[in-house]
Formats: sequence, C-alpha cells, structure tokens
Amino acid sequence: MAAVCTASRVLTKKVLTAKALPAVCQSSSRKFHFSIYGNRDANNAKVSDGISTQYPVVDHEFDAVVVGAGGAGLRAAFGLSEAGFNTACVTKLFPTRSHTVAAQGGINAALGNMEGDDWRWHFYDTVKGSDWLGDQDAIHYMTEQAPAAVVELENFGMPFSRTEDGKIYQRAFGGQSLKFGKGGQAHRCCCVADRTGHSLLHTLYGRSLRYDTSYFVEYFALDLLMEDGECKGVIALCMEDGSIHRFRSKNTVIATGGYGRTYFSCTSAHTSTGDGNAMVTRAGLPCQDLEFVQFHPTGIYGAGCLITEGCRGEGGILINSEGERFMERYAPNAKDLASRDVVSRSMTIEIREGRGCGPEKDHVHLQLHHLPPQQLATRLPGISETAMIFAGVDVTKEPIPVLPTVHYNMGGIPTNYKGQVINYSPEGGDKVVPGLYACGEAGCASVHGANRLGANSLLDLVVFGRACALTIADICTPGEKLSPLKPDAGEESVANLDKVRYASGSMRTSEIRLNMQKTMQNHAAVFRTGSVLKEGCDKMDAIYQTLDDIKTFDRGIVWNTDLVETLELQNLMLNGVQTIHSAEQRKESRGAHAREDYKDRMDELDYARPLAGQEKKPFEEHWRKHTMSNVDVKTGKVTLKYRPVIDHSLNEEDCTHIPPAIRSY
Amino acid sequence: MVRHSKLQKQVLSLYRQFLRAGQDKPGFLPRIRDEFRENSRLKKTDVMHIEYLYRRGERQLEQLKDVNTKQLGTFSKSRET
Repeated sequence: MAAVCTASRVLTKKVLTAKALPAVCQSSSRKFHFSIYGNRDANNAKVSDGISTQYPVVDHEFDAVVVGAGGAGLRAAFGLSEAGFNTACVTKLFPTRSHTVAAQGGINAALGNMEGDDWRWHFYDTVKGSDWLGDQDAIHYMTEQAPAAVVELENFGMPFSRTEDGKIYQRAFGGQSLKFGKGGQAHRCCCVADRTGHSLLHTLYGRSLRYDTSYFVEYFALDLLMEDGECKGVIALCMEDGSIHRFRSKNTVIATGGYGRTYFSCTSAHTSTGDGNAMVTRAGLPCQDLEFVQFHPTGIYGAGCLITEGCRGEGGILINSEGERFMERYAPNAKDLASRDVVSRSMTIEIREGRGCGPEKDHVHLQLHHLPPQQLATRLPGISETAMIFAGVDVTKEPIPVLPTVHYNMGGIPTNYKGQVINYSPEGGDKVVPGLYACGEAGCASVHGANRLGANSLLDLVVFGRACALTIADICTPGEKLSPLKPDAGEESVANLDKVRYASGSMRTSEIRLNMQKTMQNHAAVFRTGSVLKEGCDKMDAIYQTLDDIKTFDRGIVWNTDLVETLELQNLMLNGVQTIHSAEQRKESRGAHAREDYKDRMDELDYARPLAGQEKKPFEEHWRKHTMSNVDVKTGKVTLKYRPVIDHSLNEEDCTHIPPAIRSY
Repeated sequence: MVRHSKLQKQVLSLYRQFLRAGQDKPGFLPRIRDEFRENSRLKKTDVMHIEYLYRRGERQLEQLKDVNTKQLGTFSKSRET
C-alpha cells in the first residue's frame, strides 16, 4: 500500500468504494446501521468485510443546546449558562461572523432620552407596522422589555453613541411615532453610529466568554433528533474533521437566522440559508408566514449591500430622476421615514412609471449631501465607506443609487411569546412542542407580523434570546436526567449526507441555486401577481425535483464545502417553495406582501368604513391569519393551514390591545 | 539506536493521553488506534502535515476529555451483494 495519501483522505478511515444499491430494497429500509464498535469487538481491531462506508458519531449530553451563535443565539446561550445549565452552542460560523454583525441601524427602546416616550407608543407603532398580523401579546412583551434590554446591553459595555449630556443617543427611524401616531416622529432608535449590529455582536460575544458555554464552532447542524413529537437534540457535522456529532439535550434552541439567499439580490451574507427553518420542516413541524419577505428600500444598486435606514433618520431623502422628493406623495406625514414596505413599493412604482435614475432608469437616488459633513462623519461613517467601495460615490457630494433589496424574513418557526415552538391544529389550538425553542430571525413570535419596523430586529434578538433562556430555566432544572433516545437516531440525516457526498447526477449545485434565485427574484418580488406567482410555483416545484439530479465533485469528508453548500441548497429550497406557495395562496395585500390583483387588505371587518352594522366574516373568508406551511420533503409538495392572530395583550389594564385600522403613514 | 525526534515524542505523548482519556468512554479506543496507525504511514519529513494533525488531535483530545462527551458510535452502510 503506497504511503502516498491525498490530503482529503488521510485524516479519515480508508473509505472503500460504495457499490450502487440494487433496485430491490434490502430487508430493512434503513441504509445505515448504528453500533458502538462498528463491525469489530471492543478489543479486536479487525474490520469485517461487510462495511462499505463508515461515519464515526460522537455523542454528547448537555442540559441545553443552542443552534446558531448570532445575536439571539449568544444571548440565549449565556442566559442559559448564567442560570446554571450545561449549555452547548453549535454554530457553522465563528460567533462574530454571524450575520448580526452586518446590522447597521439600531435598537428601538422607549428610553425617552430625546423627548418624552412611552413603551405603549412603541407597542402601537409595532402593531401598526405589522399590519395587524403580529401577535399582540408577544409585541407587548418585547416593547415592555425593551428599555431594560438596552440598559442591560449598555451595562455589558456596548459603546452606544451619546448625546451631549452622556445619555444614549436615539435617532429617528421608520414607522416610529409619539402618542399613538398623533405626536409626530419619535426618536427611539438607540444606535452605535451606524454599526450597531457589529457592536452588539462583539459585546455579546465578549460577555459570553465569562460563562462556561461549550462552543462547537464550524459544526453544521444537519437535523433535529425528534422522538414521539419531542425534540431530544441535534445532529451536526464537524466540518473540520468530518465526524458526526449528536448533541442530546432536553432543550434545543434554534437561532439560525433568515434565508435571504433564496433570492438573487439580497443584503444577506452567503451563509443566510435558513437552516433552522429547514430542520423544523424536515421534522414535520410547520413554518409560519414565510411569504412575508421584507425588501429594504435602500440596498446599493448592483452590489446589494445595505445602506441603513438611519440615513433617512438623520435627514437623508429619496429622490427620483426629476429631483423630486417623491415620498411626500406616498406618505405625506412620515415621508421618507414611512414603514419599509411602503417605501419599497413607492420606489418600485416610481421606477415603473419611468422616473427612475441612471441610464436604464432602474433605480432611485438617496441624497445625503445636503447634510453637514460633520454629522455624516460622526453618525454615518460606515455607510460613507460602503457607498465609496461598492458604488464609487462620495456621500458628501453625490447621491447613492439604491434599489429595494431582500433583507429580512418576517416569517419563521412559530413560537409563543415565551419562545416555545408551537404546532397548531384547528381543534386543539396552539400546542407546545416539548424541548424545542426558537428565537431571532429564525423564530416568528410573531412580533413583526407582515412587515418589520426598522431597528426592531436587534431588539427581537436580545429580548427573545433572553426569553428562551428564562423559559427553560422556569421549566427545567440543570442536571436533569435525559430521556432515552433510540441508538440509531439521526440515521436519515447521515444517509442524506452520504447521498449528497457521492451525488453524481448532471446538474451542479451552483446551477440549481442560480435557477432558484432567479426564479424567486422574478416571480416573488416587491409586487406580486397571481399568474406570475403561479408560474413561479410551478418553476420552483420543477427546480425542487432537479435536486435529485445533483452532482457534487468533492468526495472527501474533511472541509468539504461542496457538500455543505449542497446541504445549504437543500435547506434554501425548502424555504423557497414554502415562500412562493404561501405567497400564491394569500389573496390580499398586507404589509410586505403586495398583490397587484388583490390590492386591498382583507380583514374580518372592513375597517375603511364605519364598523357599526358590519358583520364579521368567518375565518375562512378573511386573511388576517397566520399561514402555517408544511412540506413533504420527498415530493416537495407544500400544504398550508391557517392560524388566528393573537389579538389580546399580556395584560389588558397595563396596555390595551390595538384594534385593526387603516394603515397609512 | 535511533532516538525519537521531538515531534515523534510529542505524537507518542498525545497517543498516550488519548488512550488514557478514552478508557472510560465506550467506542473511542478502536478508533483512536486506527487513526494513529493510519497516520503513522506519513513520512517523517512531512512535518507540516504532521503538525497539522497534531494540532487537530490536541483539539479532539480536549473534546474527548470534556465531561459531556459520552461515547463514540458508527453509522455503517453495509456493502451490497
């Protein structure tokens, strides 16, 4: 046997070539068998002849496992460690590389540093921003906890921008108002110049090092270990040495982020692939409201990089080719600081009507050069640099070319306000899935409803990350004995991994991914039409079937990025099909989901007219409800159910709920 | 007799530590032995590679020593007849 070993094979066992499986199934439908010693006994190292491929699996036991180490994941992980739980944090990226680091704008909290403020006004703004699809108990929880959360961050050492008297500087942001919408623009967004996400993530990471959480960095979570409808842990692939790891625990928290990469042009990192949503879908649980994809108004034209809403908060304006501040026509009160979906739609209409800028008239301009350069340098240094690098524009002299770009996913894994994942049935209502929690962009509590207000996401991360930790601390005690798990749990994930590793079809991963991204971009954009959506659904179903024909090139197991990208593509596809099917079914316009053929919002009562004498429409006939989507992973078929919105707050005396009304800015 | 080089002594010491750490947890010893036997085929002069494997081994040893790591199993696919 030659001593020459290729780099990819030396570090694993000798892998004998796997013969193709015959057409007839073997007696057991399971392809992989689990054993402690492989096919040898404890002391004898001889390998039996019957083995063709072996995957070593290391079993770990913890009190709690957090998947994802972004803002929400880190907050949950060290919150659990603080409560005394033995916690593992499994992440495919180093914590400070998670996409939270790219957030620019800020965190909303009713601290009242710039003018008098009340968290109930923030509650009203968020409910209105969500177009009355948000669950008001979760929104009550989040907005009431907001000031405490920001003060906690400040105590952790987050370097907020300060006012003259040393208090946290708060800037204006989209959709924020005083006195329930009647008191003008509110200045509620606490920020760190325009690099709030970066500071937040680094502060949380630094804080998390004080606690004894075990970090498993560059471990790609494959699937949840579910047994009898209960979540008993996670199975993950260590990218560094190709070993499989099963993390058994009583509590699993999913904080894996969004899935912006289903679209061709997005502000998200390449790693935003919706892994958590896909893991939950494969476990047979529903995802909620995936059709609501936020298009951020100001992404750089061409590059797709984000220009924060804070620019408009500091006084920047959007202008069309005629030099007109067109937002005054679409949102007379809030103008450029209207809610993001309103601004995105306005920009798209301007471009469609021929008033776009540039040689192809396909974008608009964001003007900042009318602001004092000193203010731009102190409050907006990051975007000044971004605009120079990605658009070649000096913000003190020229406007930035911008276009609505996919930015955030309001939908995700359905949870209650405590962070526990729920499943819904019309007879039984909301039922908690034991052992499973979700927070951050991956979760849908739902605080953002049909549209998210700017600067509410970072707040969502810290509040619900902490909420998951508190709920787990309430329900369980550290050191509890784990319930037994079947020895071959996770076999399907390993079988899928093996299949993808040796895939030899005809289409490359990059080709299928590009097809999916172009289809989603063309068929499920800012404005959606029934026929275009239907065509998109059929195309996405066809592309889903081509996943069986995929081809990968790297057969190794160590740092096989081809394998990991293909697994990420499988996750993206599950998210994409649910998004477009849910969008096609929802026959109304609400929040970020704007239909050309159904331009109005369809609630149980028509709020445009006086309510007296109107009859409530039955549940099946109106659209003020959450979409719950399930996918049959083998066929790619999407089934949809609907769940009512929670309209009562946590405490009606403290904070009355807001009844639906017409949403105008 | 040819004495072990410093690097060889380090690798042997790592092997000893692995064997000690893997004694109480089921399933680790056969794999530890296999990995070390397999990688012993590397040429003595391939220092970069050996050092990379050594660093990786140290990290894996830390994980093995951790009280939360319980056992090593294998998922094996049987060869089709």
